[in-house]
Amino acid sequence: MGFIAPIRDYVDGLVHVSAKHDPLAAARHRAFIAPRLIGSFVALAAFPVYLSVRGVPGLLEIIVFAWLVAPILISYFLSRTGQYESAHVLSSLALTGLVTIVAFKTGGISSFSAIWLVVVPLEAALSASRRVVALASTFALCAAGFLLLISKLGLAPPPAAVDVEHGALAALGIISASLYATGLALGAESLARMSHWLLYAEEDRYRLLARNMTDVITRHGRNGSVLFVSPAAEAVFGTRMRELLGHGLFDRVHVADRPAYLTALGDSAALGEARSVEFRVRHESAHRTGDQFVWVEMRCRPLDHAVGQGTLPNTTEVVSVMRDITERKGQEQALEDARSEAERANAAKSRFLATMSHELRTPLNAIIGFSEMLTKEDSLMLDAARRREYAHLINDSGHHLLSVVNGILDMSKIETNNFEITPEPFAPHQIIVGCCDLLALKARENRIELVTRVPDDLPFVLGDKRAFNQIMINLLSNAIKFTDRGGTVIVSGRVENGFVAVSVEDTGVGIGEDDLRRIGEPFFQARASYDRRHDGTGLGLSIVKGLVSLQKGTIDIVSRLGEGTKVTVRLPADRESFEKIGERPQVARLAARVADATNVLVKMSA
Amino acid sequence: MAKTVLIVEDNELNMKLFHDLLEAHGYQTIGTRNGIEALGLAREHRPDLILMDIQLPEVSGLEVTKWLKEDAELKSIPVVAVTAFAMKGDEERIREGGCEAYLSKPISVGKFIETVRHFLGPA
Repeated sequence: MGFIAPIRDYVDGLVHVSAKHDPLAAARHRAFIAPRLIGSFVALAAFPVYLSVRGVPGLLEIIVFAWLVAPILISYFLSRTGQYESAHVLSSLALTGLVTIVAFKTGGISSFSAIWLVVVPLEAALSASRRVVALASTFALCAAGFLLLISKLGLAPPPAAVDVEHGALAALGIISASLYATGLALGAESLARMSHWLLYAEEDRYRLLARNMTDVITRHGRNGSVLFVSPAAEAVFGTRMRELLGHGLFDRVHVADRPAYLTALGDSAALGEARSVEFRVRHESAHRTGDQFVWVEMRCRPLDHAVGQGTLPNTTEVVSVMRDITERKGQEQALEDARSEAERANAAKSRFLATMSHELRTPLNAIIGFSEMLTKEDSLMLDAARRREYAHLINDSGHHLLSVVNGILDMSKIETNNFEITPEPFAPHQIIVGCCDLLALKARENRIELVTRVPDDLPFVLGDKRAFNQIMINLLSNAIKFTDRGGTVIVSGRVENGFVAVSVEDTGVGIGEDDLRRIGEPFFQARASYDRRHDGTGLGLSIVKGLVSLQKGTIDIVSRLGEGTKVTVRLPADRESFEKIGERPQVARLAARVADATNVLVKMSA
Repeated sequence: MAKTVLIVEDNELNMKLFHDLLEAHGYQTIGTRNGIEALGLAREHRPDLILMDIQLPEVSGLEVTKWLKEDAELKSIPVVAVTAFAMKGDEERIREGGCEAYLSKPISVGKFIETVRHFLGPA
């Protein structure tokens, strides 16, 4: 049927812009235009044939054929204006006029063509507009009344001389009207089918949307119970849709979030306003045990009854859209964690600055104070011995200041990875003993017993000699600093699984459990405040930690508040010397094992 | 009779500095490095002025000052904080703690003596 496609395309082209995007309206327009255009053109084409058969036409025939052009004009009107109802009215008017004139000429109400008046309202029915049907019926009735009137009054002109008998004409009228009505009925059926199909397509599209949407749509009744839930819920909540109906959803909302959930629904229903709320819902998953919650954002608003059909007015229902925002919440949490971490780091830096300032000012006070006194030696009447003494004090303070500055520099070098480590095998025993000697004086001043239990044949350590020296100095001065008079500091060394372990154990103040976790963080000194008992920068142990890790060793702190602290540093032993030591007598290894066991016990009790 | 100053300071060198300075200017001194001991010494000797370090063993100088100011008999003794806490806000906090004056370390000898004279008059 190759000739239909161009016709269809031509008719499609005639559909007015306003109807193009509504498939049903476009179908109506096409159904209006196509038969009229085709009918009129066929009629026009038939006119010459008619003329050749009938000869010169009478006035009636001319009117009838002229009238057949009217649908073309009306179709053009619809195509230009898009006024579908007006086009129908015009069409009804044209048909009524044609039938009336023909009937008037052919015997009034009893004319063969009067039956066509019945077709007028039928045709109007296709418009699906009551107004158009009413108008068309009025036209038809008026025309019938007019024909009846002139027939009764005998005003109708005498029927033109027709050489066909009346019965045949009546049959022609009825048959043609019936055929036209049939055409209308077919058109109506096709329109109905079209609208049915469109409805299905629409529904299908909604269903497809609902199935493929990750957001969950729910409808809630007056008390918040779920009346409808969309299929997306199965993925979000990990359960069957029907499980969520009624109070199923509420039961899955996290207990702490239930008030917020109910408030949002209640407010939305009571105040008629949109509400948004975030809450957690239990997610049921076959392969996970325990409660897993997903974060959900719910936006709810009262159901619009103008759109919803089949619901009674005044029942306040709420429709809501829920979205899984677990990922976003996770990101928010991560951001929050990062923020508090940054704040903590910032607070530590501020504390460090305050501590540094304090630690630098204390020796500076002595240096500046005594030197200023020296400049006023005359007015203060300082003798030579005094002056010498002050010079010594200034020198001591200067050295203390230097050690503080060096600590800061070391720490910052370690923190910025600029501390140069030169690994080489060295004998730890010698260095440990040297450090103990260095601090023996200070221990004696504080009446602390410093005990060294380091075997002189400890294997060589593969590390940096200078760093090891620093580690020992820092650990020993910490132990002495934090131990009360009469206490004991024990230094011990042994071999452990290819590592040389050196422990410094004291009977000092110890470190609380909370502080133990943070000890060794740069600038942190346990119980830091105005009443800090012990001076120092809070850098000693951080430096030790940094130096140990730079040498691929480990550090382990065991402590109990009020009882003492034991710091154990393990540095890799030099393999060659370690293998030689492997032949050592049993006793030493046994001693090492006993020391290990003690360490474990201390750890367990801590 | 010479005016007496109680020095509460835990750093030995600084204690010596304050002691020598005050002695050279004709004041008598008593010293302690411990806050709790300071309270006892104040009761016993009734000094005319107290120089108070803030960071002390056991209890802070601020705490000791609070005790002093709560004691009806001791509260009239002026307390001058001499401290290495010299960050922003430290002076306000320390003055709010009841100290009559605040000197930050390192001290200027001139200002130190001037402050002492302000409270005690020339020795």
